[in-house]
Amino acid sequence: MFAAKRSLLLVGCCLLLLGAAGLRGAFAQTIYLDINNANFQKIPIAVPDFKSMSSDQQLSHQMADLLNNDLNISGVFRCLDPKGFPEDGQRMGLEASQINFQSWKQVGANFLARASYQVQGGSVRLDGRLFDATAGKLVGTPKSYGGDAGAWRQMVHAFANDILQMVTGQAGVFNTKVAFVQRVGGGKEIFVCDFDGYNPVQLTHDNSIDLSPVWSPDGSRIAYVSYRDGSPKIYVINVASGATHLICGYPGMNITPAWRPGGNELAVALSKGGSQDLYLVNSSGGIERKLNVGFGSSISVSPNWSPDGRKLAYVSNEAGGPQIYIYDLSSGQKKRLTYSGKYNTSPAWSPKGDWIAYCAQGGGGFDIYVIRPDGGDAHAVTHGGRNEAPRWSPDGRMIVYSSGYAIRIMDANGTRDWQLMRSPGGAQGLPDWSPRVNGK
Amino acid sequence: MKRKRSIYPLLMIFAIVMLTACGCAKKTVPPPPPGYGPENGAGMGGPSSGEMGGVSGDKWKRLGITSEAQKREFEDRAAAFENQDVYFDFNGYTLSDPAKRILDQKIDFLKRYSAVSVTIEGNCDERGTEEYNLALGERRADASKQYITTAGGGNFQLKTVSYGKERPVSTGHDEAAWAKNRRDHFALKY
Repeated sequence: MFAAKRSLLLVGCCLLLLGAAGLRGAFAQTIYLDINNANFQKIPIAVPDFKSMSSDQQLSHQMADLLNNDLNISGVFRCLDPKGFPEDGQRMGLEASQINFQSWKQVGANFLARASYQVQGGSVRLDGRLFDATAGKLVGTPKSYGGDAGAWRQMVHAFANDILQMVTGQAGVFNTKVAFVQRVGGGKEIFVCDFDGYNPVQLTHDNSIDLSPVWSPDGSRIAYVSYRDGSPKIYVINVASGATHLICGYPGMNITPAWRPGGNELAVALSKGGSQDLYLVNSSGGIERKLNVGFGSSISVSPNWSPDGRKLAYVSNEAGGPQIYIYDLSSGQKKRLTYSGKYNTSPAWSPKGDWIAYCAQGGGGFDIYVIRPDGGDAHAVTHGGRNEAPRWSPDGRMIVYSSGYAIRIMDANGTRDWQLMRSPGGAQGLPDWSPRVNGK
Repeated sequence: MKRKRSIYPLLMIFAIVMLTACGCAKKTVPPPPPGYGPENGAGMGGPSSGEMGGVSGDKWKRLGITSEAQKREFEDRAAAFENQDVYFDFNGYTLSDPAKRILDQKIDFLKRYSAVSVTIEGNCDERGTEEYNLALGERRADASKQYITTAGGGNFQLKTVSYGKERPVSTGHDEAAWAKNRRDHFALKY
C-alpha cells in the first residue's frame, strides 16, 4: 500500500485519491490510479524486448511491440521509446533484484513490464512481471501464460489485461473480438477478428447478404440477419462450432437483433404486423411480447439495450425522419431523445450507461455523435465523413464504427482513431464488439 | 437449397437469365443474387421463338397465351414491366404522380396476365444506416404493393422484399446516382 501511495504522488494524481486507494486496499485490491479522474495523465511505462529463454529470438521484439501497442491503446499508459532504454532486453534480468531501477527512473519510466518466453516444439510459455520502477518493487504477482505457439498474441494480450487490472483495478479488453460484415464476391458475410485487427476469420458462408452481427452476452454466439432464404431473417451462429440456426423467420422482414444483457432474450424488429415494430423474443425466436413503441404505422427499428436491460434505445420515424427514442420496458413509457437534425439512427448504449452513441446526418455527411441518456451534452466525435454504426468496447473506453468501406476504432473521447485492419479483405461495415470472454 | 448455395453468386445471376430465357417452368426462385449492377436485363432474355414446344406448355396456357404472336407480345410487355422502376425522394416512401402512372401500366399488365407473380424489391441510396434503410426499403415496396392492390382492385400475386442499400444499380456518390437507387424494382415470375 505504501508503494502505491508513493506512485500516486509521483504520477501527479489527485491527492484525494489516496483515501480511495486506501479504501480499495481494504478489499485486497491494488489500485494505483483512478483513470476516471479529470486530471489523469497517461503513465509512462517501459517495455524492453522480451527475453528469449530458447534459441528462438524471433518473437522477442514482436511480443514487446504488441504489448506496447496494447498499452498505448489502453489510454492509461504512454509507452516510452525503446531507443533510450538503459538495458538490453535480451541481457537484463527478470527479477527485481537483477534490475537497475534507478536507470529506468532516469529515462522517465514509472512502470516497467518485463517478460521472458520459451518456445518448445509447437508451444510457447510466457512469464511476465510488472514492476513499479519508482519503488523498485514487483506489482502484484508474476504472471504465466502458455499455449500453442500460434497463439502468442493472445498470451501477450492476456499479460496486457493483467497489467491493466493490477494498475487500474479494471482488466483491459485486449482479448476481445470484433464481429463485422465484409463483402465477399457479390455478397456479404460475417467475419470476426481480434480487437487489434489480427486473425480475421470468415464465420458465415451463406453466399448471400448477411448483416447486423451482434454478440450474445456470454460471447459464445452471434445473432445476425441473412437473406440466404430470400428475405431477411434472423439466425444465430455458434462462434466456436459454426453451427447456425434460424430463430426469427416471420413473414416480412426480421432485422436488427439485440441480446438483452444478462439474459437469453433478444429485442428484434419484425414487420409481420404490417409495420416495422419491436418485439421481445426468446433465444429460439418465440415471441414473448410486442413492445408497443410504435405510433400509427411508423417504423421502429435498431433496438439497443441499456446495460441494466431495463430500457431500449431505438429508432422511430413517428415524427417524420428517423430519431432516437428510449422505451422503458417496465413502465411502457417512451421519450424522444434526439431533437437536433433530421436523421439520427443506430443508437448504442455505453457499458456504463452514461452515454448513447449514434449516427447523425449533419452538413458534412454522416457522423458519430454521443449524447447523455437524458438528452444532454450531445456532440460529434467524428467529423465530416461517412461514419456510421457505432458500438462500444466492453470497458466503454473505445467506439468501433464504420467509416466508408472500412471499420475504425477511436477513443470514446475522440482523441485517437485508427483503422481496425491495415488492409481489409473487402468493404466492411456493421461492427460489434464482443464482451470480455471468460471474464478476461 | 444446398445446390444453390454452392453456386457462386455471379453464376446464379447467369443461371436466372438462362432459366428465364429458356422458359423453363421453375417453381421456386433462388435466393436473390446479391450482386451489384442493374438487374434490369436479368429478367428477360431475347425472344425464344425458335424453341421446341412453342406455346403449348402449361406455363403459356396459364398465361392465356396460345400463339407465337401472343407470346412475343407478352415477352415485350414483361420486359417493359421489369425494366421500369419506380423512384422515391430521399428518406421518403410516398408515391409521386409519375410513379403512380408507372404503376398504372403495371396494373394493366397484371390484369391481362393474372397468372404472373411479382416480387417488389424496395431499395435505398447509400446514405444513412444499413438498418434503417432496410425498413425504409420495405416501406417503399409496401407503397407500390398497396397502390397496385387498391388501384388495381385485383387479387394479384405480390410479394415484397427490401434490400435497403445493399443492391444499388448506380455506384456513384452523387445525387444522380442516389436518385437511381431510391427505387422499387419489380421482378416477375411465371
